[in-house]
Amino acid sequence: MEAIRNAFDFSDFPRLDLTIAGLGILFLLIFPALPHSSFAMATMIQFLMFSLYGMGWNTIGGYAGQVDLGKAKYVGIGAYTTAVLMIRWDIPFWFSMPLGMVFAILWSFVIGYPLFRLKGHYFAIATIATSLVVKDIFEVWDFVGGARGLELPLKGHFPDFLYLQFREDYYYYYIILGFFVLGVLYINAFRHSRLGYQLRAIKDNEDVARSLGIDVHWSKIKAYAVATAFVAMVGSFHACYNFAIEPEDTMSLDLSILIAMMAMLGGAGSLWGPIIGAAILVPMKSYLGSWLGGQAGLAGLDLVIYGAIIMLIAAVQPRGVWGIVEAVRARKRGSHAAA
Amino acid sequence: MPLLEVQHVSKVFGGLRANDDVSFVLEANEVLGLIGPNGAGKTTLFNCIAGYFPVTSGRIIFDGRDITELRDYQVARLGIARTFQIFQASGDLSVVENVMVGAFMHSSSRSRARLIAEECLEFLGISDSAGHMLSELPVARQKRVALATALASHPRLLLLDEVAAGLNPSEIEGMVDTLRRIHQERGISLLVTEHVLEMVMALADRVIVLESGRKIADGNPEQVVKDPEVIRAYLGEHFAPQAGQAGPGGEEGRHA
Repeated sequence: MEAIRNAFDFSDFPRLDLTIAGLGILFLLIFPALPHSSFAMATMIQFLMFSLYGMGWNTIGGYAGQVDLGKAKYVGIGAYTTAVLMIRWDIPFWFSMPLGMVFAILWSFVIGYPLFRLKGHYFAIATIATSLVVKDIFEVWDFVGGARGLELPLKGHFPDFLYLQFREDYYYYYIILGFFVLGVLYINAFRHSRLGYQLRAIKDNEDVARSLGIDVHWSKIKAYAVATAFVAMVGSFHACYNFAIEPEDTMSLDLSILIAMMAMLGGAGSLWGPIIGAAILVPMKSYLGSWLGGQAGLAGLDLVIYGAIIMLIAAVQPRGVWGIVEAVRARKRGSHAAA
Repeated sequence: MPLLEVQHVSKVFGGLRANDDVSFVLEANEVLGLIGPNGAGKTTLFNCIAGYFPVTSGRIIFDGRDITELRDYQVARLGIARTFQIFQASGDLSVVENVMVGAFMHSSSRSRARLIAEECLEFLGISDSAGHMLSELPVARQKRVALATALASHPRLLLLDEVAAGLNPSEIEGMVDTLRRIHQERGISLLVTEHVLEMVMALADRVIVLESGRKIADGNPEQVVKDPEVIRAYLGEHFAPQAGQAGPGGEEGRHA
């Protein structure tokens, strides 16, 4: 019961934030009714997907402070579960998605148990390595289509809500928007939960955390499982939305880094951070990518820009855009109190 | 039955015997001081009791239960709280949130944890710092926050590692009062290590002295500071009185 109350408890944010958030939700709700290009619609769907990836990453990477650069393998596990179950056994999205989450979580326990014996950079490197291994396995595994990947069969009639097959993008849009709203509420409950507080204590100081009865290793594994569930859920959606998946687009290192970067740019360890990060990076990525793709000799410049962003975050404000907002607010409070 | 029994505990780091066959008991509702010169093995002994690292040999019994093999977080859950010498004030938890983490040990409800936290801050007289970040507070306040966090986990035994370090004399006095209240009003037993001997003398019912990892004295504070062995450990051969002679040890010993 308290978890549900916590999910709707936004009282620690000032009214201005809630007004902006409310206007944002309103905009998201009416966006399909506004005049827009199909490219803009695709970008919006990407924005919602990456917000969810980022929110998931934020539980382990932000609140618990464990920089995870291997989230993409769980996108893949979600996507492949949905695709394989549909192709082989005709199982609809709404059943394969939770199953994909379960598989991903099980795998996250197997991998998380040894992984969380490592700390800091060693942990980050190990997450990359384990993710690349999974991708390599999928690339040579014939059962899941190898490197060519899988194509989802068309069910023939539109709209199909069971298998998530639509001609018009706005169906996909509203479904992922629904996940997005649930995701925000879940994370809001999460950060108010015992685990949420304990993870922040772990990020502060693991010795102190253990002296307060916190099983640090197990808490990290739990947070990792939550992050995994989020990412796998969106992976399943990705499979239906794209109609085709391959290891390169669901499990690449690029995707893992992009997920982490969204959250870090917006503000790791804050509720709005991943959403802000996705709102900045996703449009930049798709518009810059499509523009640069057409310019000979400029392809790859977007990667240079990502690199610059990472350096900027590290040097200026490790807590991202949201960190800047909070710093400005703290200064205002300070000068107000002094006056 | 004693609350805590340390039986023949030794801890070896490589070639160094940090604790050598140390035994003592701590009765329920007792304040026990643990003193000794630098490098005597006080913090090591603390860490062994708290399960922070395993002992090389010996047993530790808490409330009739063998906790020798338990990990630090398991020991904490049984009711042994501790403070750290260096309390790192980083991160993004506010003061009240910090204390709530302690309260979450026994309650999964946020509203309940918040109530417990506010009550502990009130008890320690630092309610007005609740919304601040730890790093904004002076050292004396930070130490109180650490105490409040430990109290919020409802311990039966509190291990205090140098809580007076870095405090000025009036702050030390305040800390002694606070610890006395924690002991008397909450019924929590205390095991106190301290460089500031005045503090241990003022607080402790009984004192044990470590030197080079071995226990060299155990008794009430007045007796212990007159013990020639203890004076020798703190001040060297020169000041050690001959047997039966009242030496200058008492007063100087307090400021070691």
